[in-house]
Amino acid sequence: MSDPQPITPAVSVENLTKVFRGALGRKPFVAVRDVSLTVREGEVYGLIGPNGCGKSTTMKTVLGLLAPTRGRTFVFGRSSTEVASRQAVGFLPENPYFYKHLNGLETLLFYGRLCGLGGAELRDRAREMLALTGLEDAADRRVAGYSKGMLQRLGLAQALLHRPRLVVLDEPTAGVDPAGSRKIRDLILGFRGQGITVLVTSHLLEQMQEVCDRVGIMAHGRMMREGRVDELIAVENQTELVLEDATPELLAEIRALVERQGGARLVRTGQPRTTLEKLFLEATEETN
Amino acid sequence: MNHAAFSPARVWTLAAATVTQLVRMKILVFLLLFCAVVVAAGFAFPVLNPEHQLKLLKDVSFGALQIFSLVIGIVATALLLPRDLEDRTLYTILSKPVPRHEYLLGKLLGVLALIGAGLLVMDAAFSLVLWLREKLLLAQILAGLKAQTPEAVAQVQELVGKQGLTWNLHLGVLAVFLKAAVVTALALMVSCFASSTLFTVVVTFCIVIIGHGQGLLREYFLQGKMEPFVEKGLSALLAVLTPDLGVFDVIDNVVNGQVVGPGSAGYMTGIALTYITGYMVVSHLLFVEKEL
Repeated sequence: MSDPQPITPAVSVENLTKVFRGALGRKPFVAVRDVSLTVREGEVYGLIGPNGCGKSTTMKTVLGLLAPTRGRTFVFGRSSTEVASRQAVGFLPENPYFYKHLNGLETLLFYGRLCGLGGAELRDRAREMLALTGLEDAADRRVAGYSKGMLQRLGLAQALLHRPRLVVLDEPTAGVDPAGSRKIRDLILGFRGQGITVLVTSHLLEQMQEVCDRVGIMAHGRMMREGRVDELIAVENQTELVLEDATPELLAEIRALVERQGGARLVRTGQPRTTLEKLFLEATEETN
Repeated sequence: MNHAAFSPARVWTLAAATVTQLVRMKILVFLLLFCAVVVAAGFAFPVLNPEHQLKLLKDVSFGALQIFSLVIGIVATALLLPRDLEDRTLYTILSKPVPRHEYLLGKLLGVLALIGAGLLVMDAAFSLVLWLREKLLLAQILAGLKAQTPEAVAQVQELVGKQGLTWNLHLGVLAVFLKAAVVTALALMVSCFASSTLFTVVVTFCIVIIGHGQGLLREYFLQGKMEPFVEKGLSALLAVLTPDLGVFDVIDNVVNGQVVGPGSAGYMTGIALTYITGYMVVSHLLFVEKEL
C-alpha cells in the first residue's frame, strides 16, 4: 500500500530571518530571527506578540511584499517570491487606506479587476461583499469620507472579493468598535466553517483565544511558543466544573466528597464572570 | 487557475485608476486655463503685422503645451508612487497577483494617457483658434488690398497660410508629447529610489534642465578638446545619464513655419522609445528590490 500524499500546508515559513539594512552609518535591524511555522489548510492561526516583535514582517514576507534575508516562505506550496502564490490570498493590512478618489463600490471593482474578475460577476460579488461588511449604504460615497471602522470593513471586503483560500488579517479589529469587532470575530469563525484558512494577528488576546485553533507567540523577532490554543492555555493538573442552578446543599455535598476522597483539593468556587465585551454588547443591543 | 505573467487587463486597470485619480485631483483645470490663454493670445496684439500675430499665437500656445505636459509628467508621477506607499495602498495592490512591473507600467501609461488626452484637447483648441485667426486676418488683408489681382491674393494667401494651420503643427504637438513621455518615465525611475515627492521633483527638474542643454554642454566641454574615442565615450555617458531633450526641440521650426518631415518624427519617436524602455527597465530593477 502506498503512503498517503502529504497535505500541502496553507502557509509554511522555514527558518525565516529578516534583516533591514541600516541607513547611512546605522546598524542593520534584525526584525525576524530564524522563525518557522506552519498553518494547516482550514485552520485559524493567530500570530501574537508585543509591538515590534516581527509579526507584520513575517506576514509581509509570506505575502511577498518583503524578501527574506534567510529562509523561505510558501503559500499552498508555492514560494512567496512567485506572484502566482498570491492568487489564492486575501490580505487586510493594519489600518488600510484606499484611493480616496474612488467610492466604496469602485474600490472593490478596482481590486476585483486586479484579481482577474470582471463583468456582471464582479459587480454582483462586489455588492455581496458590501452587504456582508455592512457598507451597502456607503457604496456610492467617496472613501475619503469613510471612518476608520468603515475603512477596516472595506479592507475586509476587498480581501474576500476573489474567494481566497487563505485570508491574512493584520490587526483586523484595530480602530473598530466592540460591535464591529464582534462582527469580524464572527466572520473569522465563519471562514473556518467554510474551510478558509486564516492567518491573523491581533492585540485582543481574548478574541484570539476565542477564534484561533493554534497560535504562535513572538517576541524580539523569535517564536517563543507555538501550539493549539487549548493545549497552551490549559492548566494541566486542574479540572473545571461549571454547574447551573446548583443549591447550597449540593455544593456542600461536592465539597465533602472531595475532602472524603483525598488526593484532590478544591481550589476555588464562585460565580463565573461574563466578559466586559459581552456586557457592552448586551447593553447596547438592549438600547437598540 | 493559471496566472498570466503579463496581463494587459491588469495594466489597463491600474492605468485607468491613475487617470481617474489625476482627473479627480482637478489637474485638468490647467486645460481650461490653457484655452483661456490661447484665446487671449489669439486676439491680442492686433497692432502687429499678421505674420507676427500668428507666430505669437503659436509661440504662446506651444509654450503652454510644453509647460502643461512637463509639469504634469514630473509632478503627477512624483506624487503617485510615494503616496501609494505612504497610504499603504501599495500593500493591498501588490498583495494581489500583480507583478511589480505591471504596477509601474500601469502608472506610466496612466500619466501618459492623461498627458496625451490633454494635449489632444489643447491641440484641438489651439488649431481652432489659429484657423479662425488665420481666416480673419486673411479677410482683413484682402479687404485692405487696393488691387485684388489673383497673383496678389495668392501671394497673401501663401504668406498667411505658411504661418497658419498646417499638419506640421500637429507634428510639433507630437514632439511635445514624446518629450513629456521621456520625462515622465525619468520621473518614475527617480521616484523608485527617492525618499520623498520633493526629492523626485527637484532631481527630475535638474535632469530635465541638463537634458535641454546637453548639446551645448557637449559642444563646450568636449568638441575637439580630447581624443575622438574619449569624446565619443563621454558623449555617450552624458546621453545615458541625462536624456538628450534637444532632440525634441522642433517647436521653433514649427513656429517659424518650417516643415518637420516624417523622418524627423520617426527619429524622435525612436529616441523617445529607447529612453522610455531604458528608464522602465531600471525602474523595474529598483522597484523589485524595494522593501515595502
